[in-house]
Amino acid sequence: MYATKQPSLRIDQSDLMCKKGCGYYGNADWEGYCSKCYRNHMDQERQKKSRQSQADHSKAQVSGFSKFEEKKRQQTDKKNKYLKSLPVFRKSSSAKDSGRPEKYIDMRQANPDADKLMAEFISSYGEWGEHVRKDFFKCVQAFTTKMLSELDAKPIEDLAEIAQNYYNLYNKRVNTNDVYQGVTSEVKDELLDFFERYSMVSLYSFLFCPPSTNDEEKDLTIQDRIRKLSWVNAHHLDCCISETSIEVRDLVYTAINDLLGLDSMKAPQEKLSCVVRCCRSVVKVLQHCQGGPVSADEFLPALIFVVLKANPARLKSNILYVTRFCNDSRLMQGEAGYYFTNLCCAVSFIENLTAESLNMPEQEFQSYMSGEVTCVSAWESALVACEGMHQLCEHLALLKGLLERTAVVQDGTQKLREDMEKLKDEINEKVASVLERTPLIIKPRKIPIPITRDNLPVSPSIHIPKIVDTNMPETDEITPHNYYLQNLSMTQINLLDSTKTKLQLDITPCLPVPNTAQMPSQSTEFLSPSGIDNRSLDSLTPDDNSYLGLSKINYDIDFSDLSADNSIAEELTPEKRKSPTPSFTTPDPFSPVGVSCNIMQSPLVPSSGPMLVPVQERPPKKDDFVLPFLESIPKKVEEETLLDKLEETPIISLPSPIKPFTSEYTGFSKQGSKIPSIPCNTGDFSSLNLSQSSLPSSSKDPN
Amino acid sequence: MSAGPYNYSYIFKYIIIGDMGVGKSCLLHQFTEKKFMADCPHTIGVEFGTRIIEVSGQKIKLQIWDTAGQERFRAVTRSYYRGAAGALMVYDITRRSTYNHLSSWLTDTRNLTNPSTVIFLIGNKCDLEGQRDVTYEEASKFAEENGLMFVEASARQMGNRGDNVEEAFLETAKKIYQSIQDGRLDLNAAESGVQHKPSQPGRNNLSADQQASKDNCAC
Repeated sequence: MYATKQPSLRIDQSDLMCKKGCGYYGNADWEGYCSKCYRNHMDQERQKKSRQSQADHSKAQVSGFSKFEEKKRQQTDKKNKYLKSLPVFRKSSSAKDSGRPEKYIDMRQANPDADKLMAEFISSYGEWGEHVRKDFFKCVQAFTTKMLSELDAKPIEDLAEIAQNYYNLYNKRVNTNDVYQGVTSEVKDELLDFFERYSMVSLYSFLFCPPSTNDEEKDLTIQDRIRKLSWVNAHHLDCCISETSIEVRDLVYTAINDLLGLDSMKAPQEKLSCVVRCCRSVVKVLQHCQGGPVSADEFLPALIFVVLKANPARLKSNILYVTRFCNDSRLMQGEAGYYFTNLCCAVSFIENLTAESLNMPEQEFQSYMSGEVTCVSAWESALVACEGMHQLCEHLALLKGLLERTAVVQDGTQKLREDMEKLKDEINEKVASVLERTPLIIKPRKIPIPITRDNLPVSPSIHIPKIVDTNMPETDEITPHNYYLQNLSMTQINLLDSTKTKLQLDITPCLPVPNTAQMPSQSTEFLSPSGIDNRSLDSLTPDDNSYLGLSKINYDIDFSDLSADNSIAEELTPEKRKSPTPSFTTPDPFSPVGVSCNIMQSPLVPSSGPMLVPVQERPPKKDDFVLPFLESIPKKVEEETLLDKLEETPIISLPSPIKPFTSEYTGFSKQGSKIPSIPCNTGDFSSLNLSQSSLPSSSKDPN
Repeated sequence: MSAGPYNYSYIFKYIIIGDMGVGKSCLLHQFTEKKFMADCPHTIGVEFGTRIIEVSGQKIKLQIWDTAGQERFRAVTRSYYRGAAGALMVYDITRRSTYNHLSSWLTDTRNLTNPSTVIFLIGNKCDLEGQRDVTYEEASKFAEENGLMFVEASARQMGNRGDNVEEAFLETAKKIYQSIQDGRLDLNAAESGVQHKPSQPGRNNLSADQQASKDNCAC
């Protein structure tokens, strides 16, 4: 009210004071008086009225009521006086005719908050003795029953007066009655406070926004009004709330939330403390914005702004409830009184807000109010459409986090890439250095890939011969061959993995051995001219020869394998001999370098060449027997696997050296001397013969 | 407001809940003012509206609390669940996320209200058929599974679907009234959300009512 006197929002401290100048704070709802002066004022008014008209409905004048409405309301109040007490009867199963106390009981039953408070009382003040508790509840009961009895008979203003009287009465009682003698003054204050709180919580549903008043209409009116004023901004109000700072926004939100709590509380002092908290938050906002102390001139606009933005539910009802039923002493002084008065001022300013009070042209004001022009500002988005802003902010923060994380990932990948590059280079260097360091001869060793395959036969070769030796010492040559064929195919697969590791290990021994291995190969090739000697030697003393003896077993295996193949080849021999030979011829030139070399470069071809030849030679003798068994298998083998086997053969030649355990072999040779001797010799002989015949041109040429 | 005191015999307390921007305030405005509020500002905290309706010849005042959908005000709005006789749970058929959040709203409602509270599911903005993101079938299945009443409505469009706004409020009231009649809802319970106000004041009725109440007490 006083706020609207000035075009701008400047309010003097004196404006908040009671109109009568009694030194207490005034209140808009008390027509600018403090509660005491207002009461006196009302009494005077009442006396005047009662003089003018004897009607009892002129007890109190509430501004804003038309007389007609007032009359109507009071009539209905009367009518409902009795009906109001109906629930009492409903509840009271046992019929005490005095309905009042039962109403109280009923009220308490239906009020969990009051129950909670009672429990709190007992736990807090139980120590002061049974009599204190009893007296307290006696007083509360007296108060509440009195209120309920008068509820329908008197207007709410009178009820408020009754309440104030009871507060005073209890205050006196606490300070004078013997029951409270031992109680400290602090606890006495607490008891007073509790008295008010407990009774008001109990009576809340009857006294808050009572249907006998038009409080609810006022609430709806101001709610609508505030909604229409949602476009009003901080700068309209000439207040210095920063519009962009997130911290300020959060503080404003805190203030808004505090104010919104107003409606959730039941006791007047709880509501009051909500107002106080809200106002403190507003002060904080201002302090944050200004960086200094806050004056009343700046405070009120900020509070108005907060009220406008919060649009608290049932604002009017809450203010009226507090002004009516909060202990006057609390309202008239101190922080709470000051802030509450400010809130009332803010509300009355909002109710009477005009273009003039916002310092804006009437037209602009009207266009805003009618919704023609909508105001968009940082605050609008921050407070009104804050969810969107929040989401934006949250999403921005999220994106930021994601960005950082992707950066980390990218760095990681970059590093990894570099590391890999480095590693690659290092490996390349190492490999290069190793290559440089190591002589050419070593290269063959590095060719483990073909060797691994080739090695397969090696292991079988190792095993097989034993098997052969043990199982088939006496059997015909053919059977071992077959056996080998099968074993090879089987063992190859089985041993593939297992042997690989072994083989690699075995390879090293091969190195020294190759000499021996090469020897035979060389022997075959080299000896081609002078091979006769070797062959003759072999034939004569097949197993006895030093290197031959070492490689015997291998030889046998190879041959046996090949022999099977060759057995088929035999028939084809004429054609095949011619065809393979040319292919073999090429490897031959390498042969002089060494079998190992051949294996490396084109292991299959060169090795096969020499091997095939001997094999081919061998079978003719065995073929007769083998043919039926082998025919089917070998044909395929020839075409597809021949090479493998051929590979195997040379490898076999390699592994043979691996077996340095000549002693074993010799041992075997004793038992199975026939076996190695038979295939080897026969094979050797035939092969040698054939190789001589078929290869002479090729093998000899290089040599 | 034309509602003078005691023009009604009951007060039913409703709450409207749901995600932000689903049209809670517009539904309320449509129901109380029968007008569509085009540029409705975002609700902060809670707002309320009232309207008197008639169910089975009884005048009932609906006191409807329109809550803010924002998470920020959840603490404030939660205090309004208590003592609600009816809860209107609103989602936006054009925004799937609002539908997906229903279960959390439902949990809140179930936890904070009493078991007799009638929950009505409203799929708002059904005039925007072209932007539909939630089918009627799945929503009605959801409602069925959770024992909710369900309707699709539009606060903007009166007519075919706009009536559903009215229907939602009225059906909820009917169901609450039904449970009062069945005795499932105890008027005297602490947070029933229903207040009884005899509509025909007068001394004469007192004895009758008293009699009736005594009878009630006997059982």
